[in-house]
Amino acid sequence: MISKLFQRNETYLFFVIMAFSFFVTVMNPSFLTVENMFDLVKSSSGMAILAIAFFVGLLSRGIDISFPAIAIAGQYIAVNALIAMGVDSLPLAFLISCAVGTAMGAINAFFISSFRMQALIVTLGTSNIFHGALLVFVGTRAINTGKLPHCFKAFGHMNVLTLARPDGTLYGLSVFAVLLLFVIILTWFILNHTLLGKSIYAVGGNYESAKRAGFNIKRTLFFVYGYIGFLSGIMGVMHLSLIRYSNPNYIVDTELLRVIAAVVIGGARITGGSGTLTGTLLGVIMMVILEKNLVLIGLSSYWHQFFIGLVIVLGVSITYYQSKRQNRRNLLFTD
Amino acid sequence: MCQGVLSLLIMEKIGGGTLVPFLEAEKISKAFDGVQALDNVSISIDAGAIHCFVGENGSGKSTLIKIIGGILRPDTGQMRINGRPFTPGRAIESIRQGIQIIYQDLALFPNLTVAENISLNQLIEKRNKLVSRKKLIQTAKKALAEIEEECDLFEKVENLSMSKRQVVAITRALTQNARLIIMDEPTSAITKAEVDHLFSVITRLKQKGIATLFVSHKLGEIFEIAENVSIIRDGVKVGDYKAEALDDRKLTFLMTGQEIVSKPYLPKGNGPSQSHLLELTNLTRKGHYQNVNLFVNQGDILGITGLIGSGRTELALSLFGLNRPDSGEIILEGKPVSIRSSREAVRLGVGYLPEDRLLQGLAIEKSIGDNILATIVGKVLTRLRLISGEQRKRIESKWIKDLDIKTPSPAMPASSLSGGNQQRVVLAKWLATDLKLFILDGPTIGIDIASKNNIHHIIRDFAHRGVGVIMISDEIPEVLQHCNRVIVMREGRIEAEIEDVQGVSEEYIFDLAAAKKVGQGM
Repeated sequence: MISKLFQRNETYLFFVIMAFSFFVTVMNPSFLTVENMFDLVKSSSGMAILAIAFFVGLLSRGIDISFPAIAIAGQYIAVNALIAMGVDSLPLAFLISCAVGTAMGAINAFFISSFRMQALIVTLGTSNIFHGALLVFVGTRAINTGKLPHCFKAFGHMNVLTLARPDGTLYGLSVFAVLLLFVIILTWFILNHTLLGKSIYAVGGNYESAKRAGFNIKRTLFFVYGYIGFLSGIMGVMHLSLIRYSNPNYIVDTELLRVIAAVVIGGARITGGSGTLTGTLLGVIMMVILEKNLVLIGLSSYWHQFFIGLVIVLGVSITYYQSKRQNRRNLLFTD
Repeated sequence: MCQGVLSLLIMEKIGGGTLVPFLEAEKISKAFDGVQALDNVSISIDAGAIHCFVGENGSGKSTLIKIIGGILRPDTGQMRINGRPFTPGRAIESIRQGIQIIYQDLALFPNLTVAENISLNQLIEKRNKLVSRKKLIQTAKKALAEIEEECDLFEKVENLSMSKRQVVAITRALTQNARLIIMDEPTSAITKAEVDHLFSVITRLKQKGIATLFVSHKLGEIFEIAENVSIIRDGVKVGDYKAEALDDRKLTFLMTGQEIVSKPYLPKGNGPSQSHLLELTNLTRKGHYQNVNLFVNQGDILGITGLIGSGRTELALSLFGLNRPDSGEIILEGKPVSIRSSREAVRLGVGYLPEDRLLQGLAIEKSIGDNILATIVGKVLTRLRLISGEQRKRIESKWIKDLDIKTPSPAMPASSLSGGNQQRVVLAKWLATDLKLFILDGPTIGIDIASKNNIHHIIRDFAHRGVGVIMISDEIPEVLQHCNRVIVMREGRIEAEIEDVQGVSEEYIFDLAAAKKVGQGM
């Protein structure tokens, strides 16, 4: 049992996170406080949800890079619709954003499943179409805090748990944590306890076999990309509520690489078909504490980009090195 | 025997007293684009029988299987199951009648566990929306117990050996109430010991009253397992035979329509005074092979045989620069050499034909011409270092003609060829270079008899032109017939060196290769 645990990527990643947290805490004791942890959860739940979305795509052997464009489209359309209708309703905002996301995901799925095209190429194109269409047809103007419907601001401030600091002021755990937990449980349930989830693994593992076994592949792919769009829609609203500002130019390129880096360091194979939800979440945690603490090590925030790139390359190299070692054991010399 | 009674009982139950075969296919014909793939072929399989279906590549075997499996529809002819008419329109209809096809690629999901692979099909069949882990495991356990097999249910299939994967595929068939399991060339990717294991599984299936239709072109296996043999050639059935009524020669003749007689190989009269082309002294790589001493002369075909794990492939890879030895010497034409990469090996005149030609021997998506030119591209360059179109054409058509590669054009991808023709492309690639030493690992794996014969001729031609050949093979008869000297390896050591192969029996060599391994149940 223990030895099996040590064959898993997640175990190592867990220990790396522990060691790193220990190091950071020694440098800066305020790191390992409940308040800081609450802050980290709030600021990174959006990224975690996108990472889960990207991970589900990878499982089916598809690299979907349109999620940042979908997230911003869902967010910007939702906020504009609310302002235009003069309604101040958070559920409606989620409904619109998720519907936009799911529809865009379905467009991706259509191209990917009908012509068996590479998801990477399709979404490279569609993410530009989605974003371009958003700027042309919906608008380019940023919506700042003053104009923002009240419900977003309230959502951003809402806590599920409130604690008091020694001086009597309050802090709390954001409601975002509940939303993230909901997405984690939903995804875990789909992947492990439904035939649909198994069909995602099956399509990612062996497309032809999945077809022969009688899985409805088209439906599976529509679900996968629709779900990615749906989660991106959720993230869009969360992100807006967090920063209280909606700029249609904003999250498009900054989130993409961070999310890929997190998923890859979590041990999911970039070529698809394998990886775990736990690994993905650990990957997100690793990325977040790495990013937040670069300053502690004495590096300026300009180093962020450098480290994100490094993590992607390292993460992919480790996975490839392992499969190469496996090949060597089977006397396959592929280089 | 008890198994006979069992299958009799089953037939009685279904057939209502009379002995009706489980599956009858009558006068099946099927044409593709005017080419008659099957012409009035009939076959009848009894419940619980082990039936072998034999024919060369392209003889129509797969077409008939696909018709039985509901994937293709016959142009004319009819089928019956237990005496009742059976006209499957889709694969699922055949599956519901208890027909399971296990294709060569096994159609497993490498990234899912054994339990999931075994049980998923059943879930799809039942249209379950939810998956209960407990139920998955139960189903898998029950199915494995049915054929008395054991397997770690939580291991991913990608980490299993070929033989274990096969067991998983067979077990999966059982979860869908299989009455007839059709196996398409199940032995082409596994070793002799694994074949024995597969056969014991098939025997256990028989005891459960489950029939097996075994598609193969390996003669030895056919005699070992089959009760009935149906032979098909060029889309026409040659006949049905009891396995006892056939022997190697008769079966070969019936399959190919030609007598194939092979004379033992003798190198052209080179005196023993000649110095060795290749000599290995105490070559060792820890965990792979130890203290290997051998030599190869010009014109020799040296056979190396042994079980998997005996170190034969590992040794061959070392000679081609891919698996560096720890100690010992490789002496090529009298000079000690150290071969650090495959590039260096090619420069020294060493060629290697790998066991897995699809993965390692061919650029399968590339054209036949590109593959032939791969080793000599440096020699067909113009002064501007571009590939000369004229020379290229000349070389391509020369080899396609010389080796009788059946293709409409050298621009076709290598993947469009049959196994035998693919192997000829790999051979052409090496023939085109100035080879001194040629190492062939399993040169006729998965290739039908007529092509096999042709490939053996090409290998002999190599040797006659003065190339030293090392031929590694699982198939002991192949080594005995086509090599002038044979080395038997076991557990990384040379067990025996046989200078004169004439009069040596297959059993003798098999015992040498398997000694001490017996009873370990690989």
